[in-house]
Amino acid sequence: MTTSILDPTTWTMRREEEVMGTVVVLDLYGDASVTSDELSPSLHAAIHELHEADRIFSTYDPASALSRVRAGTLELANAPRVISDVFELCRDARELSDGWFNHWGLAGGVDPTGYVKGWAAQRALEQLRAGPARAAMVNAAGDLVCFGVPHPGELFRVGIADPFRTDSLVALADLRAALATSGTYERGAHLIDPFTGRTDARLASASVSGPDLGMCDALATALCVAGEGMLATIHSLAGYEAFIVGLDGTRRWTTGFALAGVTDYDLTAAG
Amino acid sequence: MTTRRTPMVVLGAVIGLVAIGSFHASPAALAMTTTAPAPTSRSAPTPTKQSTTTPSAPTTSSTPAAPSAVRSQTGSTVNYNYGMLAVSVTVQGKTITNISVPSLNDGGNSYSQSLDSMSIPILTKEAMAAQSAHIQSVSGASYTSAGFIQSLQSALTALGI
Repeated sequence: MTTSILDPTTWTMRREEEVMGTVVVLDLYGDASVTSDELSPSLHAAIHELHEADRIFSTYDPASALSRVRAGTLELANAPRVISDVFELCRDARELSDGWFNHWGLAGGVDPTGYVKGWAAQRALEQLRAGPARAAMVNAAGDLVCFGVPHPGELFRVGIADPFRTDSLVALADLRAALATSGTYERGAHLIDPFTGRTDARLASASVSGPDLGMCDALATALCVAGEGMLATIHSLAGYEAFIVGLDGTRRWTTGFALAGVTDYDLTAAG
Repeated sequence: MTTRRTPMVVLGAVIGLVAIGSFHASPAALAMTTTAPAPTSRSAPTPTKQSTTTPSAPTTSSTPAAPSAVRSQTGSTVNYNYGMLAVSVTVQGKTITNISVPSLNDGGNSYSQSLDSMSIPILTKEAMAAQSAHIQSVSGASYTSAGFIQSLQSALTALGI
């Protein structure tokens, strides 16, 4: 735990956990009076959520419950309850996205992993929220969710990666809850058009903010495939907003998106 | 003028379509905006307020003037699941000005090579953004490697940062 020189009443703590094929970063902020012992249970509970999600939902592990459900060797009714829960949430996402998010439409059978990373990060955050931390942010490979504010009067400020250039950001945004970005530059992108079955996308990147990271993740994936016509759909969902970068680099966003700046922020020129 | 190329990247059974283009004829460069157009706007976002202040000179939490010497350090070679890598960092004073991966042994398989080509630039961006843009994190489709962070941290520690 580190106490900031700028704000000595606040300590910060960063934990990097290798899980779900990536590294999930947990940043915690708290009052200087909170000890690491007091913090530990909620941090461990948060990390446990991530590993449980990995264990149950891994599509790389043939022995995971999800893999066995996919293979037909495990009845859904006998599988961990969270699999049914996630399938139900995926149905909600499919409905809300007019079918553009469809975890049944993927090659290899039902694959909710496009939802699970955000869902697990959100559950980890809820564990931190129940603990003594005053604020926290979980970054699951570029999908972000937070509660509270890092310092009094200062919101979490995040950048959105430029899909075309490795050394710049396309926008800055204030984060109050969740923000997920999906892009055609994504590693192993599950960007498959559920209506054609083709690997396709109509946007270079799509970011969706809202109250729940699992839903943001699903909607960002759907938006990236569906294209800007879906902006109005997302804007109509209570609490959800979007920011997109078109294949030609055009940036558009819904009126409620908490944009803190549109920028060609050249990181190499900074400092 | 826009150019686009679409290399196909095969990751196991997953085919990722990667569109990379050059663009940025955008006059909105470095513009800051406080209002957003309607979601159905047909044109590119038009900022209503423009600032000529470049974001590269944040003033909110200036650090004491550091020695401006440019120094470089290569971190320890670490295992990053798909091979071995070492990260090199260049700093001016206490500010990171460049991050590179001079040592990378990924065994030559296509899976790790596709990770290298896509993830390392993003990791570099995240590390630099965190320091220079005064932001807490970056949202993007990224892969974060513990090995990358570990090697970078060892380089920074060696530099006393």
